[in-house]
Amino acid sequence: MTHRFLSHQGLASLVAQLLAANTRVIAPVRAKDDPQQIDYQPIHSFEEAAIGVRLPRRSLKEYFLPPTEVLLHYSQTKEGVEIREVSTAAPPQVILGATPCDVASLEVVDKVMGWDYRDELWFGRREATTIVSFLCSLADSTCFCTAVGLGPESFRGSDLLLVPVDGGYLANVVTSRGEALLHGFASEATDAAIAAAESSSRAARQKVDSNLEALPADFGGWLASNFDNPLWKTIALRCHGCGACAAVCPTCHCFDIVDEHDTADSGVRRRNWDSCQTGLFTLHASGHNPRQSQSERFRQRIQHKFSIYPSRFAEILCTGCGRCSRSCPGGMDLPKLLLELVTLSQAKPEVSGQ
Amino acid sequence: MSIEVESETDQTWSPKVVAFVCNWCTYTGADLAGTSRLKMDPNVRVIKLPCSSRVNPLFIIKAFERGADGVIVSGCHTGDCHYSTGNYHARRRFAILHDLLHFMGVDENRVTFAWVSASEGNKWQQVVNETTARVAELGPFSEFQGRQSAGAPQ
Amino acid sequence: MTELQELARQLLTEKTVNVVIGYEEGPRGVRPAFITAPEQASSLVFNIHCVQNLAAYLNPRRKQVAQLGKAAIVVKGCDARAVAGMIREQQVERANVVIIALRCGGVLQNPGTASELTAETTSVRCAGCTVRDPKLFDYVLGELPPEPPVNTHRVEQIAALERMTSAERWNFWTAQLSRCVRCHACREACPMCFCVKCTAEKTQPQWIDPSSTPRANRAWQTMRVLHQAGRCVDCLECERACPEHIPLGLLARYVADAVERRFDYAASDDPSVAAPFGAYRPGDEEEFIR
Repeated sequence: MTHRFLSHQGLASLVAQLLAANTRVIAPVRAKDDPQQIDYQPIHSFEEAAIGVRLPRRSLKEYFLPPTEVLLHYSQTKEGVEIREVSTAAPPQVILGATPCDVASLEVVDKVMGWDYRDELWFGRREATTIVSFLCSLADSTCFCTAVGLGPESFRGSDLLLVPVDGGYLANVVTSRGEALLHGFASEATDAAIAAAESSSRAARQKVDSNLEALPADFGGWLASNFDNPLWKTIALRCHGCGACAAVCPTCHCFDIVDEHDTADSGVRRRNWDSCQTGLFTLHASGHNPRQSQSERFRQRIQHKFSIYPSRFAEILCTGCGRCSRSCPGGMDLPKLLLELVTLSQAKPEVSGQ
Repeated sequence: MSIEVESETDQTWSPKVVAFVCNWCTYTGADLAGTSRLKMDPNVRVIKLPCSSRVNPLFIIKAFERGADGVIVSGCHTGDCHYSTGNYHARRRFAILHDLLHFMGVDENRVTFAWVSASEGNKWQQVVNETTARVAELGPFSEFQGRQSAGAPQ
Repeated sequence: MTELQELARQLLTEKTVNVVIGYEEGPRGVRPAFITAPEQASSLVFNIHCVQNLAAYLNPRRKQVAQLGKAAIVVKGCDARAVAGMIREQQVERANVVIIALRCGGVLQNPGTASELTAETTSVRCAGCTVRDPKLFDYVLGELPPEPPVNTHRVEQIAALERMTSAERWNFWTAQLSRCVRCHACREACPMCFCVKCTAEKTQPQWIDPSSTPRANRAWQTMRVLHQAGRCVDCLECERACPEHIPLGLLARYVADAVERRFDYAASDDPSVAAPFGAYRPGDEEEFIR
């Protein structure tokens, strides 16, 4: 990892050059419907970017797995059925000012997207994207990235991680792509800048650390062996099964495939966001539903993220961004819930006698 | 004589109007208009239903989604319903549908609700011609059919 | 102990109910509580942060709650209308639920972000409230507080929309609904959306496309609001649940106002009052019918 220094002006010029070359630049901006909120949106000038103001409402997920996308077009003619698949080539784009939790989630989901079948739509966009993340100093009491092996200073999934220092940013150059992006705009980093960045990183990390301790290594195993624990019957009584958590989650990636016709003999096949929290998710054609109530469905969410996915891919399917808890209308709080479960998992069995 | 309008793509465009009509009154009235050789714009596609109360608001929405530029919904006058009270229930439903479509930005001139009795061939002619003319003026309802992928936000 | 906590403790001790559904303090502010043991009753609270309408938890198809057994539920007067609606539509038997109504002086629009009710912080749905002294209850508790300050924000938004042209309104709603990702959180959080199979989930034929496209999103929200006409109690759970912050409350209020204006009916906390769409009057307005 090399360090470089990028001045404020340097960053502005870098972005201006990208925009002049018609490269799409996506950055946090003030939301149109509520200027207090931040969304990741394409920008047309550097001034539109509002980095380091607030955690964006939605994650970066939709730029790689959109809420809906066409997979193929079909039409029926006298000769048969004609199918035209969509192109998986994506135009180059740069993401600027993403939070480490949002960026890391992409690498986590890469694992399933390239598992038994390579999802070219996902990877087409991944390969076309250069990611510039920023040290995150925005942690509130619902963040817990440090508990899942990440942190506000994590460069996982980034090409460049920028840490604000006097006069500009200390640029942590993570990949050669990041190096290429900086070329001509950055200068040598001073020891002072490096030290200042380290100090900010420590301070940012402290903000999150106190929210939840790192999940124990055997947590996934404990979850697996406590699949039938009666705790699941009462842990999610207030959960509506609304799926808002899945919509805002950077790592939730389940989708449904549907065919929609435009005319009687032509149409498209789409994939749409779906969520295991809905009643229909596991409903069989026979009418049987193996996850009949919200307690089973909520158990699935926790098991998948903290036990099943880790056992398959050695990754926790969660980056600790806290959006699920902030968006839940029923007051579910994931960090506190995890604390409850961890405490349970570490409770010593009662000693009889004595 | 059909109403045709020059559209942006320079092809002549003809409004597509879908009419949901009840079997007992309006359909018969429309039939009467036909047998009386009354001149009507041929833009209307008639869908016959047993009663105006069979009309689910989804029919109107779906008609717009699938290419209708205008919609007519018509049944018996209140008090004359073949099933006694169907149109009373329909009237309540249509009232709220009308108000909601208006609030969500569908121009009122695209949807016509009417009571047309079996003997009102003339009235049917007027409903058809007036609706077609108003819709022609508004142009194609392509916004409703717009189906570009939401994709990533623009 | 407060009156509410004492009542809950008593109901549980005497096994009149198996669970008291109410509000408690959680890590992120007030949240629903499911009290099953008498000693837990002291965690029950009632204050201006108690925004959520808890009636949805009475839906018999929420098996994880139903399996706890007979419930008592804490309601504000507005929430009681949802309970009445569920009784009216035979989802809940009156005898099977104990209704604990709290006299209410209003709640916050954004719980946890303010500490008192003002014209800016009060929930928009408290404006014009006629049920501060609830009528549907087995027990009614609390002193009647003064009327809440009136937050006119929503009324102003609706008025502004009505002043726009059709095309401007179309663009407004297209823009707002473009954020809809079809998660259907609005439906799941709504106490009156209890259909086992939602119309949007019927696939043969597919009336409403499940995809997040401009036309499908519009079809979905239009139909959901229409299916709620005369039934919606304006609790704003839909708006609260929406992860995209779409102002669904504007649609809910507009339709509720239309129903009131045309049929002289507002969602009632009396289960025996017939809902407007099972009934009619010969003199109903038909100014919109040619």
